[in-house]
Amino acid sequence: MTPIESLIYMLVFPGFLFLTSYAFFCQYLDRKLYARFQKRVGPPFIQPIADFIKLLAKEDIVPKAADNRMFSAAPIVGLAAVLTAFIFIPVLALHSVIPSFEGDLIVVLYLLTIPTLAIFLAGWTSGNPFGQVGAMRAIVQMISYEIPFFLALLAPALIVGSWSLGRILDYQLGGMWLVIFAPLAVIIAIVTLQGKLERLPFDIPDAETEIVGGPLTEYSGRRLALFRAMLDVEMVVGAALIVTLFFGGYDLIISFSDLPWYLPVLLNAVIFFVKVLFIVGILALIKAVVARYRIDQMVSLSYRWLIPLSVAQIVFIVVLKFGGWLI
Amino acid sequence: MFEKMVKLSRVKSPWVCHFNSGSCNGCDIEIIAALMPRFDAERFGVLLKGSPRHADVLLCTGPVTGQMKERLIKIYEQMPEPKFVVAFGECACTGAVYTGAYNVEGGIDKVIPVNAYVPGCPPKPEAILDGVVKLLTAFKESE
Ligand code: SF4
Repeated sequence: MTPIESLIYMLVFPGFLFLTSYAFFCQYLDRKLYARFQKRVGPPFIQPIADFIKLLAKEDIVPKAADNRMFSAAPIVGLAAVLTAFIFIPVLALHSVIPSFEGDLIVVLYLLTIPTLAIFLAGWTSGNPFGQVGAMRAIVQMISYEIPFFLALLAPALIVGSWSLGRILDYQLGGMWLVIFAPLAVIIAIVTLQGKLERLPFDIPDAETEIVGGPLTEYSGRRLALFRAMLDVEMVVGAALIVTLFFGGYDLIISFSDLPWYLPVLLNAVIFFVKVLFIVGILALIKAVVARYRIDQMVSLSYRWLIPLSVAQIVFIVVLKFGGWLI
Repeated sequence: MFEKMVKLSRVKSPWVCHFNSGSCNGCDIEIIAALMPRFDAERFGVLLKGSPRHADVLLCTGPVTGQMKERLIKIYEQMPEPKFVVAFGECACTGAVYTGAYNVEGGIDKVIPVNAYVPGCPPKPEAILDGVVKLLTAFKESE
């Protein structure tokens, strides 16, 4: 890619500009589906943008008890981390090269843990007892969902034998989507992604009927808006990661090779983002049909069930691999 | 243009914080009923928020008792500008049957400025949504 192209890739499409508007759309879809599952009408289309602008225009209060610098830095760091994480996910192939390098799966996973830490710091430094309880819960929750999440996303890397998202995608472009070899890992990844995003059934850190607003209790105005945008973008990145690893990224069974060069690129991007919408739909369905766990139930669920199951999945893949049933 | 956008988005997304300043609980039950799926307040962008820092509208129910007065003022001051107060129910509007009781200050407007009154004992769920929507329309037209 030329420098101009990489700049456009980062800033316009599919980078910051497109990603944020797409994330708002995903929030709308999520809330609308959630409402429809409950037989409600649901919010209008512009709702996420209206919320965002309204929060930006509101007064921004920093409580006296809060550690000022950390309090302001947390939302920006979190948002920057998730925006950066998306750049490493191969959305389209320019000049039939998938932009990727060895080990970018690790980079994305690493960047995806930063939002949780930002939320923890936000709650901890806000000087509010509810915020601190929420922050502790966020960390306890993190050590329980992070391990099965990583193990589940390790499965595709094991099958392909590479840590590169591009190579994993390339493997699926020619042959079969990896969901066929690792169905269990997909389920675990989706469930734990729900925990990562702090949504039902794992919205323990900001359980509003128990601890008001959780770590974000003291936040208002601009910073709250950034936090909400961060959670939306994180949802998109998580869903996009699952699509890339298990559902063949922008792959569709049909081949577009006889079209002019720009059409396949566009179509690929459209296919990719439609697939992401499906994952968002599944996340909304989970949110609609379950109730909240207690924190100890959540820990025991992930240590008793999710981790053993994901280990079993990995053993299964290793057996397949050394048995020679995988190409 | 920018001003207009901000105003429109304010009207489109009123987040509500609910505060009981001494009500008999009838009004509170009615508020929860208004937020249930049947009436679906979210289609107007109304969300119930636990923290006053997140809220735009403070929904107060009941007359202000001596004990609650300080706390009501504190909660009000914790909300970021621009903020609105809705007095919900007959007691919150005027003090109603509790007027003159030894522990009651009177209506909400004796303590903090109120932007809208929703009368009724308790008001119907339709009335609360109507009150909130009217408040926001009035706000849109006023400036
Ligand atoms: S208005 Fe009626 S229902 Fe509401 S607090 Fe007063 S007495 Fe109770």
